[in-house]
Amino acid sequence: MARVDLHALTKTWDKATAVAGIDLSIDDGEFVAILGPSGCGKSTTLFLLAGVYLPSSGDILFDGTRVNEVEARHRNVGIVFQSYALYPNMSVLQNILFPTRFQKTPDAERRAREMGELVQITELLDRRPSELSGGQQQRVALARALIKRPNLLLLDEPLSNLDATLRLTMRAEIRRLTRDLGVTTILVTHDQLEATTMADRVVCMNAGRIEQVGTAEDLYMRPETTFVAGFIGSPPINLIPLPTPGVDAQGQTQPQTLGLRPEMLHAGESGLPLQIDHVEVMGRETLYSGTGPNGALRFLEPTAQPRWSMGDRVHLDFAPADSILFDAAGRRLPDATARRTE
Amino acid sequence: MTDWTALATRSRRARQTRLGVLTLFLTLVSIPVAVPYIWMVMIAFTARRGMAETGTLWPALLVIVAGLAVYGLVLWRSGRERTALVAGALTGLGLGLVLLGNDLHLNNFRFMVNANIIEDLKGQATAGGQFPWVWEAFFNSLILAGSQTIIVVTVSTLAAYYLSRFSFRGRSAFLQSLLVLQAFPAITLVIPIFLIVFWVGLLNTLYAPILVLTALELPFFIFIMKGFFDAVPWDIEMSAMTDGASRRQAFWMVVLPQVRVGMIAIGVFAFIKGWEEYVFVNGLRTGNSYWVMSTYLYYVRQDVMGVDYGMVAAVAVLYVLPALVLYLFCQKYLTQMTLGGVKG
Repeated sequence: MARVDLHALTKTWDKATAVAGIDLSIDDGEFVAILGPSGCGKSTTLFLLAGVYLPSSGDILFDGTRVNEVEARHRNVGIVFQSYALYPNMSVLQNILFPTRFQKTPDAERRAREMGELVQITELLDRRPSELSGGQQQRVALARALIKRPNLLLLDEPLSNLDATLRLTMRAEIRRLTRDLGVTTILVTHDQLEATTMADRVVCMNAGRIEQVGTAEDLYMRPETTFVAGFIGSPPINLIPLPTPGVDAQGQTQPQTLGLRPEMLHAGESGLPLQIDHVEVMGRETLYSGTGPNGALRFLEPTAQPRWSMGDRVHLDFAPADSILFDAAGRRLPDATARRTE
Repeated sequence: MTDWTALATRSRRARQTRLGVLTLFLTLVSIPVAVPYIWMVMIAFTARRGMAETGTLWPALLVIVAGLAVYGLVLWRSGRERTALVAGALTGLGLGLVLLGNDLHLNNFRFMVNANIIEDLKGQATAGGQFPWVWEAFFNSLILAGSQTIIVVTVSTLAAYYLSRFSFRGRSAFLQSLLVLQAFPAITLVIPIFLIVFWVGLLNTLYAPILVLTALELPFFIFIMKGFFDAVPWDIEMSAMTDGASRRQAFWMVVLPQVRVGMIAIGVFAFIKGWEEYVFVNGLRTGNSYWVMSTYLYYVRQDVMGVDYGMVAAVAVLYVLPALVLYLFCQKYLTQMTLGGVKG
């Protein structure tokens, strides 16, 4: 149970920069997700926190104390790897007990059985990891990470090796566990649904930097940059380049890009012209893609029955308040005074 | 219309032909390998006049073929492995007793109980008390092979772990040189090695072949062990370290158990290499300072006053036995080994 602060944290390898100076504060007991495409430095950040890597510069603070040089084994951090990293030469019980072999834990075995109960694997304790399914291995890894009451729980893409239904249950289960135990948790993932459904706050990273920190709603409704706008949301946002000059006569920054979520666009009599060239029925709604003078656009209609088919021409209208405007550098402009682009 | 029955028949026939041809081919190529060993064993247990006789070889082969035939037949008819094995063994044993029962004797193995066998055979003058009892050579061979195995397994495991996990200046050059070293025949090094051993003062001691063999074997075994370590995921080690283990503890408790197969495999190979070694054993002694099994066998075979091939074969049987036993026990580990590490 700890508060975690990162100050200008940087990690460079020989030539590449994996983490390019990030500042982040995580409250005690908070569940934070680090979200980003592969190679954005999110896993490196996690291993810096675990103490497996040494930072190149910047500071890591646990409860206000600098822990940069503290070895991984003394940081009291629990970690669940994408591959689960169970020890194949030990039984499930021995796996869960492994962390207690290095610190005096009274009643270690009873505690291990409690942890087993908590993650619902009591009947598997004598088996070998190779005899377990992916979901069961995941639970064992969680129990092993939690048995020593860690200051910080780190989850590295923990759900990406599970099938869709199991992912749904594990999502809820991990959330329940961390809330019950009150442990500060950092989840690293490239899956936006995982991040937005589980975390109190989401940290969106790109190319070693933090693009935005906020709640799921912040990231979706008020993306700070075009990267966040494009990365969050499925189907992705429409980003339409505007023909305005970068700066107007008064020296005011002018919007350069217009962001419109597919569900904010409505087909009507007037608006952006579009020729539909692909129709996807997605269950509750239908996704149309097409091309027009403003480039490729997508829009959603809340009907399962397709209203148009390939080759149809439509006009797309939207409410100015729903649009998001970005400047030339890709930053969101604060007051969205939307303008039409006819 | 497709004639499915005809296609199925054709495919079945093709499969049977393929299997038959393969079995026949494997049987044929194994004959030149197996027959000399069978012959050696037969001479050791039946030769009476010290000659390399073939008289008992043919009945012995007949016994083996009959045993195998019964085994195959019973397996085919009943499908029960154990029954077939027992039936084949009983057939072989019964037929063997009938055909060869009167020829078997252990006289050729008298060197095992007689410490002065050469002196008894050829007179004090020829051997002059230099020739040891076979057990002295046997235990020297055990020490040579065993200590060399321990060193090779320890050093190559530690070196391979470092090579697999750490990056350092010259790492790739080091790895390449490990392989290049294998390209030179070790025999070309006999003279320089002899001189070095002489200068160091280890000539005529058992330390010399132990160290030389270790040095010659290490590069290849390091390379093999590196493959095993490469197959152990990094995650597991990182996990152990965040669980509270130091790097050394993580190595001992988590990584090492996973390369056990590799350690056993290179251990067996190193042992057999040390057990069979002749060149560097004979080359690094100037007199009869130490004897190992290979030099003992060579001496028994020396044609001073006519060779007793019965005894030569008996020594050979004793010589082969430890390696064979070791191989049988560790076979399942050896088959898991490939150059790249553990097979899936």
